Amino acid sequence: MDGGQLATRADRAPVGEIRVVGLTKRFDEIVAVADIDLEIRPGEFFALLGPSGCGKTTILRMIAGFEEPTAGTVVLDGEDLSRVPAHRRNVNTVFQSYALFPHLDVFGNVAFGLRRQKVPRAELRRRVGEALDLVQLGDQSRRRPMQLSGGQQQRVALARALVLRPAVLLLDEPLGALDAKLRKQLQVELKALQEQVGITFVFVTHDQEEALSMSDRIAVMQAGRIEQVGTPRALYEEPATPFVADFLGVSNLMTVEVEGSDSAGSWLRIGEFRLLAREGDRLARGVATIVVRPERIVLEPYYALEGENRLPAMVERTMYVGSAVHAIVRLATGATLQASVPNTGDAVNWQQGTPVSVHLPADAIRVLAVASPPTPRS
Amino acid sequence: MIGRARNPWRAPRFLAVGTWLYIAWALVPVAVAIMFSFNDGRSRSVWQGFSMRWWWGDPNLSLFHHPDYTQALVHSIRLAVLDMAIATPLGVMLALGLNRWRGRGSRPANLLMLVPLVTPELVMAVSLLLLFTQVAIVPFALVELGTTAQVIGQVTVSLPYVVVIVRSRLASIGEQYEEAASDLGASPLQALRLVLLPLLFPAIVASMLIVFALSMDNFVVTQYLSSDQSTATIPMYVYANTRGAATPALNALASVLVFLTLLASGVAFGVYAFAQRRVRRSGGSAVRELTALDR
Repeated sequence: MDGGQLATRADRAPVGEIRVVGLTKRFDEIVAVADIDLEIRPGEFFALLGPSGCGKTTILRMIAGFEEPTAGTVVLDGEDLSRVPAHRRNVNTVFQSYALFPHLDVFGNVAFGLRRQKVPRAELRRRVGEALDLVQLGDQSRRRPMQLSGGQQQRVALARALVLRPAVLLLDEPLGALDAKLRKQLQVELKALQEQVGITFVFVTHDQEEALSMSDRIAVMQAGRIEQVGTPRALYEEPATPFVADFLGVSNLMTVEVEGSDSAGSWLRIGEFRLLAREGDRLARGVATIVVRPERIVLEPYYALEGENRLPAMVERTMYVGSAVHAIVRLATGATLQASVPNTGDAVNWQQGTPVSVHLPADAIRVLAVASPPTPRS
Repeated sequence: MIGRARNPWRAPRFLAVGTWLYIAWALVPVAVAIMFSFNDGRSRSVWQGFSMRWWWGDPNLSLFHHPDYTQALVHSIRLAVLDMAIATPLGVMLALGLNRWRGRGSRPANLLMLVPLVTPELVMAVSLLLLFTQVAIVPFALVELGTTAQVIGQVTVSLPYVVVIVRSRLASIGEQYEEAASDLGASPLQALRLVLLPLLFPAIVASMLIVFALSMDNFVVTQYLSSDQSTATIPMYVYANTRGAATPALNALASVLVFLTLLASGVAFGVYAFAQRRVRRSGGSAVRELTALDR
């Protein structure tokens, strides 16, 4: 892919900084976005991640100017956008449904924005050509959108937005309508494209894997609020709330009682057993939620029950998923955990009903600070 | 004892026969009336061989030579064209307005818009007649019976049809294309001109043709608001002369009415169906996260 003119954006002074201040949106009685503050850095790949209806698309639409905030403002590179209509904002959008104009061909779609800016004919031709080359559709310029595949339509939508060299590109679930294989491929391409053009990308998705693999930083949202903002690693390794832990993949949440902490870590009581937790909130006391990633849980033969942080359990169900075997184990305390046993080739087969010793390493147990009850995933 | 099991997949013959009976009942008289416009003799009930004399053969009495007939034909088409030219743009504007208006009163307005569709046309015609003849306030007092009053009446009657057609098309287009246009730097007016109107084009064409058909077909309002013989339309002339000593040229006149309305409605339906199929294929998956909240 050849960036051409588009790539020069990265060499200029960094633009594309978004500050969202106290942003609120109510639709009648429903609060879609509740008093959100957010800073998106220039050139960043930023994801808004959350379940359907959490308000992530509404935030994007308010940045684009399609939705009037009930309160709060969006500031782009120091300019308050409150009174700037959508067609005068230096941001462009890739719509979930692409919204390619069906009455124009690919060239006409990509040239639409340039024509509004009265770009001279020769330059227009060159820039449209470059944008189409960038998304590898240089030879499709005379086709109509409905003659293209979903992936090609997605690329046209990208070219149509990028050709205007916006400060920020907004992407509303741009890969949602594609099949799994194409989605994976386009994730890689989109990330490479973003690094190449150096534009700030704000990416809305409900797919945690997509967000983790592509973003520099992620804001996890729930019910119109931001739960946590951070790098993919920080969110996955150090989730601040049970919701974040739960939403970013299968995680084992357990309610425990924190007895105290010392230099070794926090001491937890679960039923008649004591556990040591080295991660998370050391100041928590009383009832708290802990999280243990399935891949950190070690299943051992039942006779190995000696040693710290080991709990007796019984294998309830196993699922073979190729790269690993997922085992659901029921602890003696009644709680269930999911353990992910990597498929190393050994035919370790934890039969249903096998008593096992579950080892929860102390540095794999994280005590969450929030006292709210864990949100079960449906 | 269980009788012989009936085939549950058998063709619904009873329904099919009933349907065809109705179609024959409704269409055969029309076809017969059209057929007699080609009768060689004067009779409108006894077949005397095929001829085109009542269409244009007869130098005095045929459809295209008899001044009364040509007068009705021309006036019908004149009214239809005027109705089309006024009701269509007006209806498109109303549809756009209703589509965007989200405030207080938009719901009742949406419903009331449909009331003219079900108001007895006779009531509408009499009201307009009284308005134009009895009310001495300026805009109404200026309207005289005849072409002007007839056009106003026909526009009033046909406007809701345009609104319904254009609004349903607007609903299937959705807001995404306009948003995309403004996102790419088009002002609201440019978005309307460059994106929405081209997408609405099939609905506009369909509306025009439907209005044309409605106008050609209209009798009650046109009759009430007419002035004299010079403002008689095809339906008015047919109505006035059916029972008299009319020639098959009258059948020819009625046939023109049937042809024009059928043609206009048929083409309108075709254009609209074609366009709807296209929209569905290109951007059907416009299910947005907050669609429910947006409303």
